[in-house]
Amino acid sequence: MAGALTHFSMFDVPFWESVSRDALCLQRCSSCSTYRYPPGACCPNCLSLEADWVQVSGKGRVLSWTTIHKQYLPAYPAPSTVVVVHLDEGPIMITHFDNEDAGKLRLDAPVKLTYSTHPDGYRLPKFTLADDSSS
Amino acid sequence: MSSKHSANGVAAVVGVGNTDWPEDYRRVRAGERPTDAYGYGAIALQRALADAGIDKSEVDGLITAPYTPVERAAELYGINPRWGSVSDAMQSVLTATMAISAGLCEVVALVLGFNQRSAGYKYGGTGTSGAANNLSYAYHEPWGLTSQGALYALMYRRYMELHGATEADLGQVAVAQRQWAAGNPNAVMRKTITIEDYLASAYIAEPLHIYDYCMINDGGVALIIAEKERAKRISQRPVTIRAIGRADMHDQSTTLKPRLIDFYHPGHTLVSKQVYDAVGMGPHDMDAVQIYDSFSPHIPVALEGFGFCKIGEGCRYIAETGIGPGGRLPVNTSGGHLSESYMQGWNHQIEAVRQVRGDAATQVPNCRNVQYISDVVGKVYSIIYGVE
Repeated sequence: MAGALTHFSMFDVPFWESVSRDALCLQRCSSCSTYRYPPGACCPNCLSLEADWVQVSGKGRVLSWTTIHKQYLPAYPAPSTVVVVHLDEGPIMITHFDNEDAGKLRLDAPVKLTYSTHPDGYRLPKFTLADDSSS
Repeated sequence: MSSKHSANGVAAVVGVGNTDWPEDYRRVRAGERPTDAYGYGAIALQRALADAGIDKSEVDGLITAPYTPVERAAELYGINPRWGSVSDAMQSVLTATMAISAGLCEVVALVLGFNQRSAGYKYGGTGTSGAANNLSYAYHEPWGLTSQGALYALMYRRYMELHGATEADLGQVAVAQRQWAAGNPNAVMRKTITIEDYLASAYIAEPLHIYDYCMINDGGVALIIAEKERAKRISQRPVTIRAIGRADMHDQSTTLKPRLIDFYHPGHTLVSKQVYDAVGMGPHDMDAVQIYDSFSPHIPVALEGFGFCKIGEGCRYIAETGIGPGGRLPVNTSGGHLSESYMQGWNHQIEAVRQVRGDAATQVPNCRNVQYISDVVGKVYSIIYGVE
């Protein structure tokens, strides 16, 4: 899997491995329980190097979004939309988003985690509007 | 930390220079490669030395931008400094002042040579520029986010939702800066635009339009900064670096927390207190402001953060005050990155100097204090240039 994926550090390996199982895990500090994302060597809160990989709830709220009207990447013809989500666990995560639903996005709208497959063949976590987002 | 002493009274700018950006732009667009990054820097350095009226043998400190490592630049420019370093525009002014204050040198040449267009620098897609310093530029590529403009689109979308601002509100920035550029023979983009032109223009990353983006062009900028007493001997009209402040915000910067949740305001607050306390002045004492404008949303958010108006009222303040020619707060008086030249903050420094000296292309009357502000790559900076 993940032939075309760039790894920015060795800590990206368990992250993408969890994604490949459709079970997104993030690092949580073993000392102070602070979540961190993107993956990295140490805890920004306490500098501990010890971390557990913990599956996240996949729940969060919309912080912002943009529809990009220019094609920068082969996998994302224009227009393409990305959404920024504040996870219930604390970290912020940015994923692609269904273009046809972009008009339904609102600040603080609840979202849920799903998975999709990148054209290069690897799995990707992806947020969609949660069922109760119309309320 | 706040101090009455914040690099104030240490050094002054005695010379500035730049390449002919419109001609650089025309030639590169025509497929020529007029020179490389070192060459653009050399032209700007020649002109800054001539402006200061000194020979390069007087230069004992050299700072270059990252595109021209200082050792090779020193070889090519025939300068053997007693001190040197590499940094961006804002940090270069700061470290020049620090090196002078520490007694390591007295006359520092600061040189940017930048061939970003002819060398094919990319600010989106695979292999985007700057990712080594700021992981946010590359990390989100699997999900389709690599465009730096899209990061500011995300910020302004959130700003619109929080504060009820509109696209037309933001369009005031591009319209005003093009008005400044129209009066500047060395601006690349000089054709004025209306708010209707702005709204009718293409989206790049919605809600941002093409006019919200800086251009990508080749060119160079140089400044000569000297110890204060030496500056008086060199120049009839030195421009004093009255204060410099910096505050960083790197917490969760890859996932954009400083920009999307904080709008860099905590950093703005720290730096504004630092520089205003150092000179005993406030935002409304500034005669003009130069704001780093890779993308137009920088302007309302920075004005709020530095206390020109309340948080969330940046666009209303711009509408009521006026930031273009004739406005009560002149902002980016050369046209900035959007319309003059994208020299990554370097052209803002020399425009600030020219406004204080009184020889800018479109001169602000009675201009004695000019403030520079930036918030990029996790760092908020401000510099106040003036006459004492």
